[in-house]
Amino acid sequence: MMRAPILTALFLSLLVPTAQAQIPAETVGSETMAPPADNWFISKSSTAGYIYDAETGEMQGLLSLSNRTAAVEVSRERGEFYAAEGYYSRGVHGERSDIVAVYDFENLSPIAEIEIPQKIEGQPLRRHAGLTGNGRYFLVFNMTPAQSVTVVDVENRTFVGEVSTPGCAVIMPVDDLAFMTICGDGMLQLIQLGEDGRETSRVRGDRFFDVQIDPVFDRPEPTAGGWWLVSYEGKAFDVSVDGTDIVVSEAWDLLAGDDQWRPGGRQFYGVHAPSGYAYVLMHQGGEYTHYQPGTEIWVYDINAQRRVERIELAAPASSLFVTQSDEPKLIVPDQEGGLHVYDAVKLTVDRTIDNPGPLGFIQGF
Amino acid sequence: MSRPQVIPNGYYWLDQTARASFRLLARRISRRSFLGRLGAMLVGAAALPLLPVARAFAQETPTEVGDSKTCEYWRYCALGGTLCACCGGTHKTCPPGAEASPITWVGTCRNGADERDYLISYNDCCGKAVCARCGCNRTERDKPVYFPSNSNNVLWCFGTEARTYHCTVAVVLGEAPEAN
Repeated sequence: MMRAPILTALFLSLLVPTAQAQIPAETVGSETMAPPADNWFISKSSTAGYIYDAETGEMQGLLSLSNRTAAVEVSRERGEFYAAEGYYSRGVHGERSDIVAVYDFENLSPIAEIEIPQKIEGQPLRRHAGLTGNGRYFLVFNMTPAQSVTVVDVENRTFVGEVSTPGCAVIMPVDDLAFMTICGDGMLQLIQLGEDGRETSRVRGDRFFDVQIDPVFDRPEPTAGGWWLVSYEGKAFDVSVDGTDIVVSEAWDLLAGDDQWRPGGRQFYGVHAPSGYAYVLMHQGGEYTHYQPGTEIWVYDINAQRRVERIELAAPASSLFVTQSDEPKLIVPDQEGGLHVYDAVKLTVDRTIDNPGPLGFIQGF
Repeated sequence: MSRPQVIPNGYYWLDQTARASFRLLARRISRRSFLGRLGAMLVGAAALPLLPVARAFAQETPTEVGDSKTCEYWRYCALGGTLCACCGGTHKTCPPGAEASPITWVGTCRNGADERDYLISYNDCCGKAVCARCGCNRTERDKPVYFPSNSNNVLWCFGTEARTYHCTVAVVLGEAPEAN
């Protein structure tokens, strides 16, 4: 009874190798990354940067990072990424080593590394890293818990030094060779570097907020002429630098009567610098709900200081990012694992990226 | 007045006053009685500076209410991190092999059992892989990173052998003078 099927199977097994031999064997190739465009973005998880083109929704490659990397800085001029990284020789213990790694655009491979003090703060926050306006010095925010900023010359691949910033945090580069920090006494501090990357002067601005009453978030975002700050209670400030003076605008109110709403999340707002439009994640909540994910995005014209639109989200979101192109895209990773690309002008969904991998915050090129 | 001026002036004042007082004392009391009183004063003086601190630590343990394995537990009102109580430790002890960071952020939490506010030290336990159970993000009176003593959004593994984050405990430091 069983003989016929067995014979058939044996016959077929003889045919298979013959069939395989007729197809030329493939070899494994490897891609190089295309030159980035203005609507590309990086979805930064705890240990990697997933690079996407928002126009197509296609992933372009991956940057391997450390779990102490705050954010990546990009020099499109030099075609390089810079990241502060911290490692232990045995994974979570052993000898520690902190470096600034340089990656090239083409292969997303490490092409240089510079040893830095073992002090990097290590939270995944966008403004714990910065690049000076002239693109030469990469800045890393440190906490030991003493606060300071490490300066690295990425052009010459050398560690320059450390700038002490007691009571002040985050990095807001301004002009060619300076940066501001936000301080616990309610002021901004402006630190000027020389051509050699060393501090030449520092000034404190006027006190414009009270940290005990209504602190500004430590998540500033750049505008065309400076930075935009938002407070826990929804006050907005334009800050900029005029020579050695720090200029802070009068506060204006993002809530404008909707007092049960608050701004909040992780990297929860972004500014399209060329147009001056800001996108802010908002939620209904009271005092100390500042990390609560947003259920809506409110769009502001920051030059006119008024809200222009509200977008209701299908799922709450904690971070967003707006690209800086002429046809900007608004990127929104939500709390349910969805990664959405909006047309930032029409405020309609262009696409939802399938299976986007682990989501942290989004940053640009 | 600058600090270098204050010190010599202060000592000068002390010298003058002390000389006068001791002369007065010597006339009024016997040597034995003087030594007895001096001894009592010294013991008292030694105790005085400690009093506010000692009071804070000498209180009875606050009445506990709630489940320390949940984010809603009263001590966790400003805790951003994972709960050591879910990871082989308790709300005030690190899990096996983890090292407690001596440097912390501080919150003020109301205990529903006695309706009092307590100062809570959030110590991170460090040196092991993150224990990714029972993640909490409560933010009562939480401040940004530029005001670090009240900021939970910092990796608070400082002064430990390895600065890798494992989980967080919440230790009562004492009764809060007055909540904001």
